[in-house]
Amino acid sequence: MKPLDLWAHELRRTGPAALAGPPALVLLMALLSMFGAWLGSRESTTAFMLAGALEMAMPLITGMAAASSLGRDHAVELQLTLPVSYRSTVLRRLAVMAGWTGLCAAAGSAVLTLGGWWALVPGAPSGLAVQLVWLAPALWLAALGLLASAAFGSAVAATTTVAFVWITEQVATETLQSVPASRLFYLFATMRGTVPGDWTANRVVLLCTAVPLIAAAWPLLGRPERILGGEKE
Amino acid sequence: MIATLRYEFLMQIRRPIMWIVYGLTYITLVAVFWPAYRTLSFTDDGGHDPKLAMLTSAKLIMVLLPIVYGCLIADRLIRDRRLGVATIMDASPADPFGRLTGKYLGVCAATAVPIALAFFGRAVVYAMTEGKVEALAWSVAVFPTAVLPGLAFLGALALAGPLLMPPLPFRVLFVAYWFWGNLIPADMMPTLSHTIFAASNEYVAYGLFGQTFEGLAYGPWPDAALNALRPVASPAVAVLWMGVMVALTIAILLITRLHAARSES
Amino acid sequence: MRIQISQLTKTYKGGVHALKGIDLDVPTGMYGLLGSNGAGKTTLMRTLAGLLRPTSGTVRLGGHDITTQDGRLAVQRALGYLPQDLGVYPDLTARRFLDYIALLKGIDGRSDRRRRIGELLEVVALGEHADRRLKGYSGGMLRRVGIAQALLNNPRLLIVDEPTTGLDPEERIRFRTLLSHLAGDRTVLLSTHIVEDVAQTCQSLAVLARGRLVFQGHVGELVARAYRQVWTVTTSGTAPSTGRIVAALPHGAGMRYRVVAPVPPAPAAEPAEPTLEDGYLALMEAAPPA
Repeated sequence: MKPLDLWAHELRRTGPAALAGPPALVLLMALLSMFGAWLGSRESTTAFMLAGALEMAMPLITGMAAASSLGRDHAVELQLTLPVSYRSTVLRRLAVMAGWTGLCAAAGSAVLTLGGWWALVPGAPSGLAVQLVWLAPALWLAALGLLASAAFGSAVAATTTVAFVWITEQVATETLQSVPASRLFYLFATMRGTVPGDWTANRVVLLCTAVPLIAAAWPLLGRPERILGGEKE
Repeated sequence: MIATLRYEFLMQIRRPIMWIVYGLTYITLVAVFWPAYRTLSFTDDGGHDPKLAMLTSAKLIMVLLPIVYGCLIADRLIRDRRLGVATIMDASPADPFGRLTGKYLGVCAATAVPIALAFFGRAVVYAMTEGKVEALAWSVAVFPTAVLPGLAFLGALALAGPLLMPPLPFRVLFVAYWFWGNLIPADMMPTLSHTIFAASNEYVAYGLFGQTFEGLAYGPWPDAALNALRPVASPAVAVLWMGVMVALTIAILLITRLHAARSES
Repeated sequence: MRIQISQLTKTYKGGVHALKGIDLDVPTGMYGLLGSNGAGKTTLMRTLAGLLRPTSGTVRLGGHDITTQDGRLAVQRALGYLPQDLGVYPDLTARRFLDYIALLKGIDGRSDRRRRIGELLEVVALGEHADRRLKGYSGGMLRRVGIAQALLNNPRLLIVDEPTTGLDPEERIRFRTLLSHLAGDRTVLLSTHIVEDVAQTCQSLAVLARGRLVFQGHVGELVARAYRQVWTVTTSGTAPSTGRIVAALPHGAGMRYRVVAPVPPAPAAEPAEPTLEDGYLALMEAAPPA
């Protein structure tokens, strides 16, 4: 176990740009929850937007941050010559970012629970399962972002990939939900609906398939030459 | 300006990652919009009208590919700063606004090449399979009117945005903007979608090329906010939309130049 | 830590041959690696630091084979590396930057780190500026931070790649002196294209040209390459057309040229005492084309 000081450094290296997104989103959610009616938003619309922020916006922020893991490090050449593998440094930063996003998302889900908004979202889960609303797509997009980052060696290409997948899932809902295989990988099964009984399977598949995505990124992250030759941002 | 344009165009067009990402996204686009992409029609008429087929083709590529286009442009200006080229450029006798314009045109033109290839390539395939050569003429008319104005505006936005905030939040906001401001139904929430300020809308299709859908006029949506920005489609409104896109582009480039001038002083 | 390189080649994607069959033996102490830009120095340094994988050949550092995972790890534990373009985190102070690198080098104890960082900041004369953010540092100060980070783990092998490029004369001399003091019982491999840096700090050196090793030996041997090949020509007419002009100084109404050439470049040419730079140029003139 590495000393806490190292984790504190990695928190700083993750960068304010990556860390500021999730709390900003939760703040917006809290404001919308409190002042939505005053702004003229219907209750069902407010509930939809709050849950959408959790299932759609939070994973987008996480995925884009993970996709930017490589290419932003000013001292990458130095890092690659250190006895600690750069792969573990990247994963530590990713863990910091994911942990922070998780905390913020849990706070966001508390906003929905405390305001009783979940009841207004058709097909929304209850109990602890509400955490899967954001966790499954966030983890899957983060894993995709990491793999794209390692495979392309370019933050631009990796973030573009995450952005493209996210938008495609938004606009091609019917196509993706019409086939059982793609339905199980569909990221927004809570907000955009799915076949009754498929929601839990969808979440489990997303969580499980995130693992091979990270596993595929693992060997690529272990090649210093590849990381050194990637595009810098 | 011409030298900058040429340099930036070549720098971007030679970037392998651009072609790889466009290639992957194009395959995905074809897969998710199948069979509409095969027939170039959203209805059962089978896309036998070449004009409508080209309009559909433009609509399809303008749903997903602009995200790739914008994200790929978003690192170009900050790259100069990172590589230390900006200082050298600033010391050159070239007019700064001319250089910015050259950079903008070069980067955007290069990044739009794969989109143009996808569009005109599909037009050629359509012309051959349907035996309708006039599709090529329609494609030449549709691309600059229905696609280019939107791309011009998005290019300026993507180029300038990362000067105001770090690239990561900019890209997140760019995706959110594209979804909120261009793709969602206008009656879902207050949105710029389907207004004359949206980079992707159908004013040119309905206003300039006379496309119709079940006799409904394109423009205001029932129960939608901001309908004042959704006039009924007509040739004049289509031209207005193009003008708005060009005006926004120029405004963004001017703001970018002013911002750079302030940073320099 | 002894460096033994045998038949090392490195070919990049696209077929660029950066290193072509390098055989080199580097003993303990200060060792110079000279070569023009693009000669392959950085590729060699990066290969030794475990950043690049050789295309073929063997590289052993202190008996460890750098091409194996275990060997690379063992070398990196004993390595201090200062890259040509040292990237730092501009938002950190020198002290915090060194603290972070120390943690990554496995110095986990907080008090050990603090003590070591304090010592090194004094060694590189940055004690007064230690709590300033790195974004405000000059090029020379950043190089000194780079050396400090390289020394954190008390390395047996120190690789410094073009460390004095862009520094003012005072900083360059200070840096060279610092490197000489550090050599002692460790191997310090100084890669540079500035001949003077090697002349002032190293006893032995190797010269790379277009990916090939064209010389290895003592500084004196390289100087000897220019023996009877260095001339001064004073003329008010045109510059000598044979040989390589090393220096040109105004002299009265004419010019005084220093020329490296195998034969007198002009009838009035006078022989001169060769320097390391002359030896290097004589070697380059004689080196076979790629």
